[in-house]
Amino acid sequence: MTATVDRVEDAAVRPPDDDRRHRLVAAIGVPVAALVVALVAGGILMGVEGVAPMSVYGEVLRGVFVLDGGLRDTAVVATPLLLLGLGLAVAYRARVFTIGAEGQYIVGAVAATGWATAEGVRGWPGPVLVLTSLMVAVAAGACWAAVTAGLNARFGASVVITSLLLNYVAAALLAWAVRVGIRDPGAFTPQSRPIGAAGLPEVPGPAIHLGFVLALAAVPLAGVLLARSRFGYRVEVLGAGKEVLGAGEARPARVTLAVLAVCGALAGLAGYVEVAGVTERVTPDFATGYGYTAIIVALLGRLRPTGVLIAAFALAALSTGFDAAERGYEIPSSTAGVVQALVVVFFVAGDALAHRMGR
Amino acid sequence: METLLTLATLTAAVRLAVPVAMAALGELVSERAGVLNLGLEGMMLSGGLAGYLVTLESGSPWIGILGGLAVGAFCGAVFAVLVVVVQANQIVTGLAFTLLALSATTYLYERSYAIGQSPPRIPRLSMPPLVVLVLVALVVVWFVLNRTTAGLVLGAAGEAPEAVDALGYRVDRVRFAATVAGGALGGLAGAMLVCGPLGLFVQNVTAGRGWVALALVVFARWRPVPCVLGALLFGFCDAAQLRLQGTATAVPYEVFLALPYLVTLVALMVRARDSRTPRALAVPFVRGGT
Repeated sequence: MTATVDRVEDAAVRPPDDDRRHRLVAAIGVPVAALVVALVAGGILMGVEGVAPMSVYGEVLRGVFVLDGGLRDTAVVATPLLLLGLGLAVAYRARVFTIGAEGQYIVGAVAATGWATAEGVRGWPGPVLVLTSLMVAVAAGACWAAVTAGLNARFGASVVITSLLLNYVAAALLAWAVRVGIRDPGAFTPQSRPIGAAGLPEVPGPAIHLGFVLALAAVPLAGVLLARSRFGYRVEVLGAGKEVLGAGEARPARVTLAVLAVCGALAGLAGYVEVAGVTERVTPDFATGYGYTAIIVALLGRLRPTGVLIAAFALAALSTGFDAAERGYEIPSSTAGVVQALVVVFFVAGDALAHRMGR
Repeated sequence: METLLTLATLTAAVRLAVPVAMAALGELVSERAGVLNLGLEGMMLSGGLAGYLVTLESGSPWIGILGGLAVGAFCGAVFAVLVVVVQANQIVTGLAFTLLALSATTYLYERSYAIGQSPPRIPRLSMPPLVVLVLVALVVVWFVLNRTTAGLVLGAAGEAPEAVDALGYRVDRVRFAATVAGGALGGLAGAMLVCGPLGLFVQNVTAGRGWVALALVVFARWRPVPCVLGALLFGFCDAAQLRLQGTATAVPYEVFLALPYLVTLVALMVRARDSRTPRALAVPFVRGGT
């Protein structure tokens, strides 16, 4: 799979199959190096603060691997990141630079919750409720993303800007939904009714909700979709250049729409999974920026499903671990965010440097 | 509707428009040179925090604003190193920059005051001088872009970099300078928001105004005067939303929360397809062809 994918991805920059080993090193080496350098930089930052970085990092590792529930919490955080990151990876492969995952995630969650808690639907049997809510979330996320595609196709509006503006519209929608639209009439503060029977059961054993399994299953599915299907082929061709696709049999606007719809569908699914597996209801502060962190996940994962899987876990472990470390050490709660953002900046810079040296 | 057209709302509209207008002018400068700066939101945030901290230290919001300008220019330089010198992808780098600025400003702000205390407020600047500042920036940007050789070269670097190169100018230097100038105005915009109407910093204080400014540049077809007019339109929507939040209306106030963004989306529909887009926008320039 990687061979075909590599070739198309880099077709614009260099001849195919030019020194594969060199590229493999760059593909894995740059993200890993970025992570290491970011951790070192974070360590220096903590050192300046007068906290021993090695003991903080020790606590971070302990928080993930040793403490009770550390791995479980990591998997729970990784679940939405993985789903969102996979969708973004598909879009970015096609060089459709959407940042609308956050909004699609919100819309998916609100729509699914609204559906599952609606009068008349609420009493349905669990499995039916789960399945229909899931479908509602996927459809809602895809439709929200389709707005961006439509604006791009019809008016030539930039995907980056419209998708981001729609995030703010989605945030307003969330505020209205929990205050009025799908509000729990019995609650004092604005929040939705509990999702109840539409909640996802826990998988016996690791005691983690079913959404995690869904997210894991999405990895090979996305892999097959990208490497083996007509859709995957078109994604790669669109990524190589609009003109190429236009010269072929497919319309670029159509493929852009499909790509954004897939991205939105996965984001909507992530929103439902988060409500059904973790928060149980939608509150005003439901959106915590997973949609933005997922951008880092997709980039670090080299826009490959397996890479996204690893990156989602790495970033989830960072945030779980730092949560644990904050209890023992006096470090600002935003430290994990800084380290995560440093990872992506170093990654972008390192990647560009590697490309230049490879030329 | 008549309740919206009061002096208070219009004053609020100007107040809300001022930082957005300044940021849009900054973005305009770098985009005309061919650099799409998606880090603008991050540069506004960085400038805003710098404005807050410098004012806190010095006691003077004017020095704070200068601090915002300087930090904005520094951010612009960092961004320019990445996208002009190293030639990293402008879109991805811009996003990464904004993400970093969001966490970094939160981090620095959180540790700028002791836990448990409420963060101190800073002395505020009144509106008239800030409005004058925007008008001065508007005139300078307009004059430089339209009436000077430097402006001509800058615009050409975003339009036909090969021609600029053939004339003996260094495209990378022109773009670097434009990005630094754009970043400086972005940082200044953030500092004007924090040291002007707000008088305090909070996490993600810009709340997407940098992105609105980016959209405004498209809306304004890369011309300075419409940039400022567009910012006023945004300011008016924002003011309307704030005003109607408190009053009982048939329309939920969240509609007005979304209105500035919806208006910008509509503006993009009207104006997006346009031949005025700099032809080499977001295209790296390599001497001697790629």
